[in-house]
Amino acid sequence: MQILREDAAPAPHTSMPTARETRFEELKRYVRFDDGDARALLALRPLAAPHFVRIAREFYERIREHEDAHSVFTGEEQIERLQRSMVRWMDRVLSGTYDEAYFEETRKIGRVHVRVGLAQRYMFTAMALIRVSLEDVAERELRADAPKARVALTRILDLELAIMMESYREDLAVQVRRRDVVEAQSLRTDLARALQLYEAAIDAAPNLIVGVDASGHIRLFNRAAQTITGYALEDVFGAPFVETMAPSEGRSKASALIDALLAGPPTQASEESFVRTRAGKIRDVRWYFTRIPSGGPDDIVLFANGADVTNARASARQLHQNEKLAAIGTLAAGLAHEIRNPLNGAHLHVAFLQRALAKSLAEPDVLEAANVVSEEIKRLARLVSEFLDFARPSLLSKKRVVVQTLVTRALELTAPDAAHSGIAVEADVPPQALVVHADGPKLQQVLLNIVQNAIEALAPSGTGHVVVRVRRQPRDVVVEVEDDGPGLPTPDAPVFDAFFSTKPTGTGLGLAITHRIVSDHGGAIDVHTRPGRTIFRFTIPIGDEGADSDGGEHE
Amino acid sequence: MDAKLDSRSLVLVVDDDARSASLVGRLLRADGYDTEVTTDGAAALARLTRGPVPHALVTDFHLRHADGLAVSRYARSRRAEMAVFMVTGHPHAVRAAVELPDEPIHVLTKPLDYPDLLRRLIAALGANVEV
Repeated sequence: MQILREDAAPAPHTSMPTARETRFEELKRYVRFDDGDARALLALRPLAAPHFVRIAREFYERIREHEDAHSVFTGEEQIERLQRSMVRWMDRVLSGTYDEAYFEETRKIGRVHVRVGLAQRYMFTAMALIRVSLEDVAERELRADAPKARVALTRILDLELAIMMESYREDLAVQVRRRDVVEAQSLRTDLARALQLYEAAIDAAPNLIVGVDASGHIRLFNRAAQTITGYALEDVFGAPFVETMAPSEGRSKASALIDALLAGPPTQASEESFVRTRAGKIRDVRWYFTRIPSGGPDDIVLFANGADVTNARASARQLHQNEKLAAIGTLAAGLAHEIRNPLNGAHLHVAFLQRALAKSLAEPDVLEAANVVSEEIKRLARLVSEFLDFARPSLLSKKRVVVQTLVTRALELTAPDAAHSGIAVEADVPPQALVVHADGPKLQQVLLNIVQNAIEALAPSGTGHVVVRVRRQPRDVVVEVEDDGPGLPTPDAPVFDAFFSTKPTGTGLGLAITHRIVSDHGGAIDVHTRPGRTIFRFTIPIGDEGADSDGGEHE
Repeated sequence: MDAKLDSRSLVLVVDDDARSASLVGRLLRADGYDTEVTTDGAAALARLTRGPVPHALVTDFHLRHADGLAVSRYARSRRAEMAVFMVTGHPHAVRAAVELPDEPIHVLTKPLDYPDLLRRLIAALGANVEV
C-alpha cells in the first residue's frame, strides 16, 4: 500500500521553480558560470564545429573497446543515430544560450542513459574524452584566448555532468520504484493464485482436513470433512474440535491427545479413532496430527488430516474372508474325494455284512454292531456334506422375500430362548414392506444365526436387550442386530472365520455360514463391537425384482 | 422261474475301485438283477457297443479313460430310456456338469447308500423278484 501511495505522488524530479533561483541558476552560480563563459563558448563554436563529427566518431570508437559500455548498443544504426545526436549536443553546449530549456535538454540525456542502461562510470570517463578533444581544438584554434575558453568548457561540461547525473539518479529511482510496484502487484496476484490453488487442493483432498486454533476450535474444515461428517463449514467453524468430532465414549482420550498437542512444541502424532457424523453414524478415521508453530490467536496451529478407513477396513476384511473361503473350498474338494471314497467302500461292505448277518441267523447283537457301524458312517457322511455345503459357494434359489417377515419369524423362533434367559428382543422395522430378491430360507438362517448369537452373548448375565433394525437404503436393505452385552473379546476378533467360536459349545460354523450366505447374495456383513454395544450389520442388495411392496419406485 | 430269469433286468456297474464294483454287483444279483461289472470308462464303452444292452447303468463319475458322463451319454444313445445312476464324491460339480437329458440322471453322493440305490432301481425298472 505504501508503495502505491508513493507512486501516486507527483514525481520527485519534477522541478519546483522557486521565485528566487532555479536549480540550474544555483549550479551556474556555484561554478561561477557567467556571460563571459557563454561568450567564450559561443566564440569557440564556429571553430570547433568542423571537428564535431570526428570527435563523435572517436568517442564511439573508444566505446567499442569496452565491452560493458558497448553492450548497451543494439546495432550500428543506433550508433549512427547516437553519433548524430552527439554532434547536436556539442553544438548545443557551445550555443551560448544556457537557459531553463537548455537545462531540460541536458536532463533528458541522463534519462536516456538510464533507458539504454549505460553505467554512470562511462558517462564520467566519456566526458573526459570530449573535454580533452574540445580543449585540444580550443588550444589550436584560439591560441591566446584558449585559457578563457578552457575554463568555460570545464564549467559547462561539469554542469552537464552534474545535471545528467542527477536526472540519471532520479530517473533510476523512479524506474526501480515502478518495477517494485509491478513486482509487488504480480506477487500479490501470484500469492492470491497460490492461495486459491492450495484451497482447491485442500478441498480436492479425499481426506478430512481440519485446522484447529490454539484454543482447540475449528478454523478450517475441507470439503471431504464436510461430506464425511455431514456438517457444513458454518456448522462447525469456531466449534470445539474434540466435542464436535469425537463420539462421547472416545472423547476423553481424544481430548487428552489434542490438549497435549496444543500445549506442546511443533510435532506430529497419529491416532486411530472414530468420528461421529451429524446423523450420529460412527466412521473409523485414521488421524495424522501436525502441530505447527503458533501465529496469532485465531491462527491454525494444528492440522488434523484424517483418512476415512471405514469402507477400506470393511472391504479388506471382506476380501480376506473371501480368500479364506476360497482356500477352504479347495481344501474341501480334496477332502470330499479323500474321505468319501473310503467311506463308500466301507459302507458297501457294511451293507453286504448286514445282508449276510440277517440271513445267517447270527446273534442279534452282532447284527446290531453292523448297524451301528452303518449309522456312524452315515453320520460321518452327513458331517462331510454339511461342511462342504458351508465351504462351497452354493446356488441360491432367489424369490421375492419380505424382510419384515423374516424378522418376525426369527423373533418367533428365538422367543423361547430369549424369555428363558430374561432377554428382551424387539424389532425396529419400517411400516412399509421391504422386498428383496433373495433366497428366503438362507436369509432366514442368517437372521436367526445373528439373533441367536446375540441372545447367547447376553444369556450369562440373565438380562439384556436385543434390537433388530431394518432400514432401506438406495440399493440395499440394511439389517442391524444390536445387543448391549459384553461385546467380543477384541474388536478385530475373526468372528466370521470357520471354527472361530467364543462359546464352549459352538461349532464355529454359524457365523462363517452366515457370512457365506450374505456374500453369495452380493451383500456385506460386518460387526462393530465394544463393551455394552455390539452391532452385527448386513446388507442385501434389493436386486432387480425387489422393491418396496407397492412397486412405486419401479417400472 | 425260467420266465422270471428271462425277464431279469441287466445292470452295468462301473467303478474303478474293483472291490466296491464287485460288491455292488453281488448285492444287486442277490436282489434279483443281472449284473456286469467293469472298472474303467473304456471297458464300459466297449461293453456297451455289444448286446444285450443293459437296462440300467450304475457308474462312478471319476473313471480312467472316459468319465462317467461320457459313459452315460453313450449308454443313453444305445437305450434312450436307460436308468442312469452316477455315484460321486462331488455331487454339486457333477449336477452342474450334467446337461438336463430327457431321462434324468440320478446323482448319488458317496458313500453310496445301497438301500437308497435299490429303491430307485425298483422305481425305475420295477422289482425283478420279491425284495
